[in-house]
Amino acid sequence: MVTANPKWGMVVDVDKCIGCQACVVACQSENNVPINTEEIFNQRRAIEWIRVERYWEGEFPDVKARFIPILCQHCNDAPCEPVCPVFATYHNNEGMNVQIYNRCIGTRFCANNCPYHVRYFNFWEPEWPESLHNQLNPDVTVRSRGIMEKCTFCIQRIRRTKRNAARDGEEIADDSRALNPACVNSCPTDTLFFGDFNDPESKVSKLAEKEMGDHGRGYHLLPQYGTSPNVVYLKKVDKDAKETADTHA
Amino acid sequence: MTPTAIGDDLFDKGKLRGKKFRNTVIILGILTLLGIIGFALRVIDTIGDGTHNTPIWGYHAALFAFILTAAQGAPMVAIAPRIAKAHWRRSISRIAELFGLVGVVSFLIYIPVAWVLPSMEDGRRTLWFYGELKVPAHMPEVTTTLVLLALTITGLVLLWVSAMPDFAMLRDRTTGSKQRWFAWLARGWIGSSKQWHWQKHRLGIVGAFYFMMLITAHFAYSVDFGMTLVPGWIDALYPATHAHNSLQSGVAITLIAMYVLYRFGGYKDYITLDQFWGLGKLLFALSLLWFWFWFSSFIIFWFGAKPAEEAVLDLLFVGPYLWIVFIVFIFAFFVPLWSMIWNPLRKSVWGPVTIASGVLVATMFDKIRLYVAAFSVSDLPNKHELVDILPGAVMPGVPDVLIWVGGISACILIYMLATRIIPPINVWEQKEVTLYRIHKPFHRTEVQILGKPD
Amino acid sequence: MQEHVQLTQRQINEDLLSSVLKTPRWWWPAVIVSAAIFLTGIGAFGYMLNQGVGVTGLNRPVFWGVYMVNFVFFIGISHAGIMISAILRLTQAEWRRPVTRAAEVLTVFSLMSALMAAPLVHVGRPWRADLWVFPYDFARGVWINIRSPFVWDPSAVMTYLTASTLFVFVALIPDLAIVRDRTDGLTRKFYAMMAMGWRGTPRQWKLQAVAGILLSALVLPVFVSVHSIVSWDFAVQIAPEAWHSTIFAPYFIIGAIHSGVSAVATLMVIMVWVWGWGKYLKPDHLDAIGRLLIVVATTWFFFFFLEWVFALYTLEDPELAVRELQVFQWPWSGLFVVFLFTAYLIPVPMWMFRSVRRSYFWMFVTTILVNIGMWLERFLIIVPGTMRRGDFIFDWGSYHPSIIEILMVIMTFAWVALGMLVFTKLFPLIPLFDVKEGMVFRDEIRIGRRVVPASIRE
Repeated sequence: MVTANPKWGMVVDVDKCIGCQACVVACQSENNVPINTEEIFNQRRAIEWIRVERYWEGEFPDVKARFIPILCQHCNDAPCEPVCPVFATYHNNEGMNVQIYNRCIGTRFCANNCPYHVRYFNFWEPEWPESLHNQLNPDVTVRSRGIMEKCTFCIQRIRRTKRNAARDGEEIADDSRALNPACVNSCPTDTLFFGDFNDPESKVSKLAEKEMGDHGRGYHLLPQYGTSPNVVYLKKVDKDAKETADTHA
Repeated sequence: MTPTAIGDDLFDKGKLRGKKFRNTVIILGILTLLGIIGFALRVIDTIGDGTHNTPIWGYHAALFAFILTAAQGAPMVAIAPRIAKAHWRRSISRIAELFGLVGVVSFLIYIPVAWVLPSMEDGRRTLWFYGELKVPAHMPEVTTTLVLLALTITGLVLLWVSAMPDFAMLRDRTTGSKQRWFAWLARGWIGSSKQWHWQKHRLGIVGAFYFMMLITAHFAYSVDFGMTLVPGWIDALYPATHAHNSLQSGVAITLIAMYVLYRFGGYKDYITLDQFWGLGKLLFALSLLWFWFWFSSFIIFWFGAKPAEEAVLDLLFVGPYLWIVFIVFIFAFFVPLWSMIWNPLRKSVWGPVTIASGVLVATMFDKIRLYVAAFSVSDLPNKHELVDILPGAVMPGVPDVLIWVGGISACILIYMLATRIIPPINVWEQKEVTLYRIHKPFHRTEVQILGKPD
Repeated sequence: MQEHVQLTQRQINEDLLSSVLKTPRWWWPAVIVSAAIFLTGIGAFGYMLNQGVGVTGLNRPVFWGVYMVNFVFFIGISHAGIMISAILRLTQAEWRRPVTRAAEVLTVFSLMSALMAAPLVHVGRPWRADLWVFPYDFARGVWINIRSPFVWDPSAVMTYLTASTLFVFVALIPDLAIVRDRTDGLTRKFYAMMAMGWRGTPRQWKLQAVAGILLSALVLPVFVSVHSIVSWDFAVQIAPEAWHSTIFAPYFIIGAIHSGVSAVATLMVIMVWVWGWGKYLKPDHLDAIGRLLIVVATTWFFFFFLEWVFALYTLEDPELAVRELQVFQWPWSGLFVVFLFTAYLIPVPMWMFRSVRRSYFWMFVTTILVNIGMWLERFLIIVPGTMRRGDFIFDWGSYHPSIIEILMVIMTFAWVALGMLVFTKLFPLIPLFDVKEGMVFRDEIRIGRRVVPASIRE
């Protein structure tokens, strides 16, 4: 059950990710992310609030593809927050790093200081063909050019679920699909988990407790920066990997 | 005063030595012996242990850093204004150059520190990239020793070249064995224009070389004997900060030496308000710059807030040594800033000297903070990051206090003994300035005209 | 000054006011060309305003590019004014006299170019930044984030701009009075208003001298802090590799002095060639600047060395990868070599020779080389850092500036040229009263057969 003061976070099980990018598509449609054409990809300006990074390992015929979904880590010590001159990004009291679109003047300082490169800038004015205008999500702001944007843990879904629960006098269940961000709901292999880290019974808390330890698979991305992310990653289990000094239990 | 009168006056003063001088020398000698006893106690601790036992040498390392910073930075007071052709430096350039002799004591104090420095095989980050390049495991000690030796020798050469005309004058005024010594020191100086030319040239080159050696010495010692010992401390500015502290403390210690000679040596005709004022302005500027150097390092660590940086901040700034940081901040920056902007204090004798004493106290505490902290973590197993519990503040033991007292006394002792042989006021420069300075009527007043030769 | 020529006040007036009272034939074409280039840049900016920041070469992860490089470069050039005016005034160096105003004016226009290079133009929504940040929109009850270096920046730069403008103006007053007394009609009214009733009484001279000294002393902390703050825009960030180093503040400042003093030397040579002021800006001055530059350049090189040593000292893969990119990968390696040679390895050995230091032509060439090198130095710090060589190889990026960015960079240079041209038409660029004062203070001392130049000290 979601607590009264939740601390939202995610667990990403890299072992299960197959790189299908359903999460990317779901996020784009939920959050009115601009359409990334081939030209925009080539300009390196594609906006993907959650992106699946693919790394190739080995030589043919033993080639392996490794996938890791990377999204905003909603760091507790976010390096992007102190550098914004106009407080367009700040840490809210539910543990999330939020972006306020209408304060943003687009200095891109925050994007520079994000070690995960999960902040995206609208270099061009986003455009949708006439036929897709009805597809835009009315709960989410449509951003103009010159503004930074990034993953919000689908805060509009969280707000709606909380409002509904308050209206109906009900508690929010931990496995509520209405609460989950779009990416979590769309993942076919249960790679992504979302929940309240302040609730010790939630999936994410249990997974984190089990795996973040000396013998678990849990880790944070780029710990040397000291960002204290709210996203826990679970290592891939590679049955063919040779035992080395590092992997020795 | 005519040049001849100046010469007579200054050399006469060399003969003015009384009971006070002798008693001071005796006391300093006793204190130096106490220092050697303290040092011996530390050696016994180390040998008894079998290992290098580096952490107990923190205070000794800090003492050397203090002397390197304060005393060996002092000759810059002679070198820099000479390049800028400021005439007010003339009376005090010898006072500053005499600190070159203190370099000998300094070097001797350094040798044990080189001995106890851990070998690069322990895996710490160093300037020598020991893991990647195949350098000998004791490169830091060897290089730093060579650099410090070069610095000391350059300081001595600087003093010698500057004093050569004075030695010649002394040769012409003494007899017997003393004359033979001065004749040897003067190396056949007769004051021909070729010799003056050579001397001026040499002073310029040796001065520039001394400056470069000073910067290199600070770079070598501060990094190899300080930064590399603290896991996770990566501060590109630290060598420059260390060198800047040397400039600031060098000015401070020269001010103190000036004051002692002014008050007790009877040199009031030569060391005047102009000299205190000139150095006071310099001390003011350098104290402001102290803050800038300190803040430039601090803001990067504080803003970045990476775990490694926060651990270093904890050890060196806001943790066990926080109270030292306060003392240093107040005396190296805060007091000089708010007092020296006040004209009556800056343009006085007592003002700059008082502030200089504060600066030296601050430097002393600063070096203690840095080196005692660095040496206290030098034997941690993890060489790349400060983890777990930080050691608390290391208080000085009895041997440490004795070493400090003895070391500083030894420096003062050698300086005082040197003034018996080498006149503390540069005689030939004093005579020279009479040629460059004339008074002339100008409209309805009279002005002083100063020559600025190329 | 061994080659001193004592000039009368009348001669000084005639020579130095020639730019104001007479218009040479090349002046209008030069202004028109500069203005045209400047307006082209404005047009490019307008295009960017209309289409979006996408018209530049910026992308993810290279979010900052040539605009920031240009910004830092011009802040660097602007340091020349203070160095030469304030520091040389406080150390009573006589050779500064003809150079101070040119340096200070260069500072003022460079600062304006710096503002045009980045803060006003490179943000995503300039209409927001330029209209709603100054003055700030407090209606929502939220203040600016004073922890952000982008708040320290405008504070520092605007303070510096204000102080420099005041400096120029206070030093200009006596000369404005001279021009006022030689013009009539509407022009005379303009100068009279600006000269604020200057009559040259002892009290007025005293006030002006004290104001100059106070401003010199007060502006020195600004001098140190402005470029430190600009450098902290980069150094406080942890994510771009190669930026998070404590050396940035002094490194940038000494680089600024190097670049700025070189720019002043270039300007001096141009003044001699174009206005014919060789009697005032003599080889002696260039000699002195050359020697100063050797010291400054070598100090800069020391800090450059420190930056590299401690970058490698970290033994961090991302840091090493960026350094490898800068030195070994084309085209960055080519730029790196060019930068090293133009910023230090060619000019400094050349300046060791007296004949080079005293030659107008060679000082012009070497100082231009220095500024090319220093622009490249800023480029090589900023762009490879943002190109990312971090753990996520997937995000490694690349960058090359677009035509819009190039046009806007050229625009900033055109602004400085335009500003200087217009300034020399309205006001004398060499301070008359300073030069006259130098002539009055000057004297000679005979020592044996030698004559030593001297100056009066009160």
